[in-house]
Amino acid sequence: MSGSSNSEAAVTLEDVRKTYQVGEPVHALDGVSLEIPRGSYTAVMGPSGSGKSTLMNLIGCLDTPTEGSVVVNDQDVTTIGDRKRTKIRGEEIGFVFQTFNLMPRLNARENVALPMVFRGVDRTERREHAADVLDSVGLGDRLGHLPNELSGGQRQRVAIARALVNDPAILLADEPTGNLDTDTGAQIMGLFEDLYNRGNTILMVTHERDIAEHAERIIHLLDGEIEEIEELSGVGV
Amino acid sequence: MNPIESLRIAWRSIKGHKLRSTLTTLGVIIGIAAVITFVTLGAGLQEGIIGDISPDDQRNVYVWSAPPENANQGPLSGAQPVFTQQDAAAISNLSGVEDAYVYSPVPAQGVTYAGQTLPRQDGIIATGPGYLDESDLRDGRQFQRGAREVVVNPAMASLFDSNVTLGSNLTITVVGGQQVTATVVGITTDSESYSPFEGFGASPRLYLPADPYYERIAQGATERARYISLVAEAPTKNADDIERVKSVTNEYLSSDRSDASGPAEQGGLTFFLKTSTELLGQLESVLSLLQNFIVGIAAISLLVGAIGIANIMLVSVTERTREIGIMKAVGAQRRDVLGLFIVEAVILGLLGAILGTLLGLGAGYAGAQFIGIPWVFPSTYAAIAIVVGILVGVLAGLYPAWNASRTDPIDALRYE
Repeated sequence: MSGSSNSEAAVTLEDVRKTYQVGEPVHALDGVSLEIPRGSYTAVMGPSGSGKSTLMNLIGCLDTPTEGSVVVNDQDVTTIGDRKRTKIRGEEIGFVFQTFNLMPRLNARENVALPMVFRGVDRTERREHAADVLDSVGLGDRLGHLPNELSGGQRQRVAIARALVNDPAILLADEPTGNLDTDTGAQIMGLFEDLYNRGNTILMVTHERDIAEHAERIIHLLDGEIEEIEELSGVGV
Repeated sequence: MNPIESLRIAWRSIKGHKLRSTLTTLGVIIGIAAVITFVTLGAGLQEGIIGDISPDDQRNVYVWSAPPENANQGPLSGAQPVFTQQDAAAISNLSGVEDAYVYSPVPAQGVTYAGQTLPRQDGIIATGPGYLDESDLRDGRQFQRGAREVVVNPAMASLFDSNVTLGSNLTITVVGGQQVTATVVGITTDSESYSPFEGFGASPRLYLPADPYYERIAQGATERARYISLVAEAPTKNADDIERVKSVTNEYLSSDRSDASGPAEQGGLTFFLKTSTELLGQLESVLSLLQNFIVGIAAISLLVGAIGIANIMLVSVTERTREIGIMKAVGAQRRDVLGLFIVEAVILGLLGAILGTLLGLGAGYAGAQFIGIPWVFPSTYAAIAIVVGILVGVLAGLYPAWNASRTDPIDALRYE
């Protein structure tokens, strides 16, 4: 995807620890080392409190580790300031949330164009590109609809289009089917597979085994440590 | 982030809460409208009073004699009757003086016309023919010295059941019960005052020749009539000419040659010589004091308005925590979020200022029409109002926006 890169990994974590001081120190992540290759499809599973969210926040440049380093698309995001980290977040990370998190007063096209607003892309280009990306997720005919005029599956498609619009190094999906019925969830998983086949790097957090099995491999987290990395034979079983 | 984009997004969230935005701006609207209304009316009032002074009056020097401590009070304040007709005649012969005549209100009890008697204590003025000019008269002519003639203004003319016209005979009852008659020879163009001595504003008045009325009747024939004031006219309204009139008049009055110098010296009085513009200045200072007072009240209203905006912005920030989280997740910098919320507050303030200005202009116009004073467009205040609106927005938006910009995206995205 990102042509300027030279390493094989989209994201690299090296001995990452995250400690919260809540009376006694809590180790949300306790020495995690991980490499997410470009173009790979990875699922993260684990019980609640295992550190899934912390891992997502660190890779998503929303948080910084207490120790260790996080490298996103060859840029170490551990030591840089808030402004640079925000810039990298906007350009290299595409978030897909369980609750969609669309701006309620912006229509589908404007929601998708929003990340480009903060990058300073001009309006005409934004509108065209947003329409193209929406078209590629199958919503070419819903450009002017507000989120509350769309179904859950359509909203998640808008969210995915928004995540893709800046051509990020990695797509971070946090329980993307958690708020959808089984059929719609299956369609969204189909879309992720498409995106994977088109060369996108995907990291998805889920607690459902059958959803996780769409990925190439599953990282099992337990108590802030990697318990097991399970390689799956085929994608999209 | 492009400022136009900030505007676009901020405008959209304002439009998203129409009622709330309207109520929020109301505080600013009322404050600004109040200032603009009263400033407009004040300026109109000033303009109206200045308009009352005809160009002809601007070359007049008004003279009276009063204790020195009355210096900063209005015209005729504490004035004593010290001037005689001889003084007026002598001053009019001084070089540089075009004309000079006496002026004194006649202490009266009532005016009778066609069998109807109306009580009138004031508005009966004894003066010289020079007091009114051709242009001041709508009908007829100015009275002549020594003749039993009178000029009335339209308000006086319409006071009686049957209208006073040229040729009507009026009977004036002076203090002491003595009655004199006079024939109406002229009617003035309007009922406004014709000099600062009359006070400002319209009221029924009639103008009599000092000789014979004041000279022989009001004062009694035994003693020489003394008048409360003089008017000395310069040939033009040029400042040098006016100064010259002032200095020669003052010099004459202070010398032994004048009749006024004796009683003035005895009573410890000072001669005051003022132009109508100078007299107006005193009135203006009262007006501006009043105006400052209203502006002060309006400032409080604006403060309340600003607090309203700040309050609603704080609520708005809390409400939109999740949206702030989303924006930050997709790459919004702190300053982008800060800018968005400040722009929103500024739009509210500016909107309030614009609407308030329009409302104030409208109310000022209606008020001016109602009172009957000219409408003046307060351009400076309108500009100040807009700037104040922006400032109110910035100040009110600063803290909420700063709060918003510091929102942690992780918490914000989890916020329900």
